[in-house]
Amino acid sequence: MRITDNIDETKCDVVVVGAGFGGAAAAKKCADAGLKTIMLERSKNVGDKIISGLTIPFHGFLFGPAFIRDGNPPIERPVDGIVNYIIKDIENKDIDIDDSLKVPKPFSPVFSVGYNAFCKAFCEWEVEQAVASGVELRTETTVLDVIRDNGRISGVITEKDERIWSKIVIDAEGSHGLLAIKAGVRKKYPPDTISLADVYVYDMDKRDIDRIFGFSLRFCWGWDEQKIAPPLGHGNGLMVWPYRDSLHLMQDQCLRNDDGPVYNLAAALKGYHEKITANLPWWKNEIEPRVTLRARMWDGFEIFVGLNEQLRNMPNFTDGMLLIGDAAGLENTELCDGVPTAWFSAEIAADVAIEAISHHDTSASFLKRYDDRIKAHPIIQWAITSTNRYNLRFAQQEHDEKKLKQCIHDGWGLGFCKYGSTALMRIVLFFIRKDPKIIGKWIRMYLRYYYNWHYSHFGDTGIAKEKQNRRNGIRLKSCLRLMDLILFIFSPLIRLVAGLLEPLAGAANPVMRFLFPIVAPVYLKFIKRWDAALEPLSTRLVNAIVASDPSIFNA
Amino acid sequence: MAISFDDIPGVEWEPGAGEFITVDPELCIGCANCVKVCLGGCYEIVRKKAVIRSLDKCMECGACWYVCDNEAISFSWPPGGTGFRTKWG
Repeated sequence: MRITDNIDETKCDVVVVGAGFGGAAAAKKCADAGLKTIMLERSKNVGDKIISGLTIPFHGFLFGPAFIRDGNPPIERPVDGIVNYIIKDIENKDIDIDDSLKVPKPFSPVFSVGYNAFCKAFCEWEVEQAVASGVELRTETTVLDVIRDNGRISGVITEKDERIWSKIVIDAEGSHGLLAIKAGVRKKYPPDTISLADVYVYDMDKRDIDRIFGFSLRFCWGWDEQKIAPPLGHGNGLMVWPYRDSLHLMQDQCLRNDDGPVYNLAAALKGYHEKITANLPWWKNEIEPRVTLRARMWDGFEIFVGLNEQLRNMPNFTDGMLLIGDAAGLENTELCDGVPTAWFSAEIAADVAIEAISHHDTSASFLKRYDDRIKAHPIIQWAITSTNRYNLRFAQQEHDEKKLKQCIHDGWGLGFCKYGSTALMRIVLFFIRKDPKIIGKWIRMYLRYYYNWHYSHFGDTGIAKEKQNRRNGIRLKSCLRLMDLILFIFSPLIRLVAGLLEPLAGAANPVMRFLFPIVAPVYLKFIKRWDAALEPLSTRLVNAIVASDPSIFNA
Repeated sequence: MAISFDDIPGVEWEPGAGEFITVDPELCIGCANCVKVCLGGCYEIVRKKAVIRSLDKCMECGACWYVCDNEAISFSWPPGGTGFRTKWG
C-alpha cells in the first residue's frame, strides 16, 4: 500500500543518494513498504566507482537484509580463515605465522567466515533487486545539495538543477559525506582517520589459487623500519584476497599519523608494494610467476572514525535526513570492512523512514530513534570500536613483539572471540528468539552460496542437471527436511532457551577471556589432527551440495 | 570516448568531468600535502602554490581535500556519468 500525504510538491517519499551496498538495501526496503523511492547514482553504471579489497564478513549476510541472505548474490570465493604473516626481518626471512583463525572441518569451506566479492557485480545485483521492488533508479545523476524548506531537509538538488522533493533523504554517498557536510549534519573527517587504499588486481589461474590459497586470506604485518608495509596502527593493511580467478592485493595507510607530517604516500605505497612483492618468499616464488596485473585503483575511506568519541558522536540524522554506512562513519575499525554496518544501518534507516512517514513526522526528534538503534546495535558498535588495529601503533612504539602478536591474534586470529563473542551472541539470540526457523535459513544460505560459487552461477534456476539427484544430494535434501521438522517441533523450546540466554550475552567476552588461556592452546594443538580426520566428511558435504537440486536450498 | 592509461590498467575515464576539484591560490600556502598524497599525480607546485596539472588520472579519492589544512582545495563530485570507472573495485 502506498503511503501518501497531502503535500503537493512531494515527488517521492524517500530519495536515496548513492546506489552502493547500503543505498540499494535501504531503497529496496522502503519500496517494499510501498514508499515511492528514488535512488540516485552519480556513476554511469552502478558500481563503477566503488573500490575495495573485499571480504564481506559472515555477520553481514546472516544478520543483514533478508533478500541478500535468501538470494543469490555474486560472490568470488568463500573465506574460511586468515593466515597472518608477521614479518620481523624480511632480509633474513624471519617471518612468523598466525593462522589460528580458521573454520574447522567439516564446516570449512562451506560454512565460511565471509565471502570475497567484486563491489560492482555485487552492487549491481543488489540494485536489480531494489528496482524489481519498485525503486526508481537514476544513474548519471550527481547530487549537489539538499533542498531546505523551513529549516528541514526536503529533498535534493541535482547537477541538472532538478529538485527532487522527498519526505526523507537517506544519504548513502560514502565516506566523504559531501552532501551531509553541505546539509550541516556532520563535518569533514580529519586526515588521521582516513586511510588511502591502494588496490592491485591480478589475473591468476583458478587452479593455482585453489592450490596455493584455498579459501584463506593472507595478511602481512611488519615493523615500520622494514618498510615493507604501511606503518603499524596507521591503516597499515597489506592484504591479499583470493578471488575466483584473480587476486586482490590491498595496502592502505592513513593520510596523516596523528598530528605528524603528511606522508609522501605516492612514493611510500609504491615502495611497499615493490619491496613486498620482491622479497616476501611466498609472493616471489609462488605468486609472482603466475600473475599478470589486471587493474590498479585507489580510494580513501574512514578507518578510525569510530575510535574518536567526538567523531563517533557526530550527528547521523537531522530533520528529514538520515546518514547510513560510510557516510555515517560506520567503517569497521579492525577488519576495515564497511559492508555489514552499511547493510545494518540501511535497514534501520529504512525502518525509521517508514515509521516516520506513516506517523507524518520526519522531524529530527522523531528520527532520533535511528541514532538510538544504531547505538543499540551490538555488531555495529563492536565493529566501530574495535581497537586491535589501532593498538598496533603502541606495539611499534615499544617494539614489543609480544604485543604485536597479541594484537594480530586478537584482531585477525582466534583471539577475536575474546572481543566479539558478546556482540555475536546477542544478535544470534535476538534473531533466534524472534523466529527459530532462521537457523534453517542460515544453513540454507551457506549451502546455496557454496553451490552458486562452485558452479559460478548466481541465478534462481539450477544448473548441471546431469549431476543432480545423486544419492548424496538426496541425502542432503532429507537432512534439510529433518532439520526443518526439528526446528518446527522444538521452536517454542528453542525460543525459550534463547530468551533465557539473552541476558547472559554480556558475560560472553569475559568468560572467553577467562577460558581462553586454558582452551585455546589445547584447541590449537589438536585442530590440525582434527581437520585431517574430518576432511573426508567435509568432502562428502561439498559433494552432496554440488550434486543437489539447488531448489532445496531456497529459503 | 573513454580514456585509459597503461600505468593504471583496468580503469577508464569518461570525459567531461571538468574542474570538479579546484585550488584557491589565495588560501594555498604551498605545503605540498596534496602533491604527496595524490597517487594520480594530479598536482604540482608552481611558484610556491599548488596547482592542478591535470585531473585526467584523478580517482576521486578525496585525499588532497582531506590533507589541505588551509581549506584551499574545494572538492566536489564530477558531473554524472563522467570521471573514472572500473569493473574491478
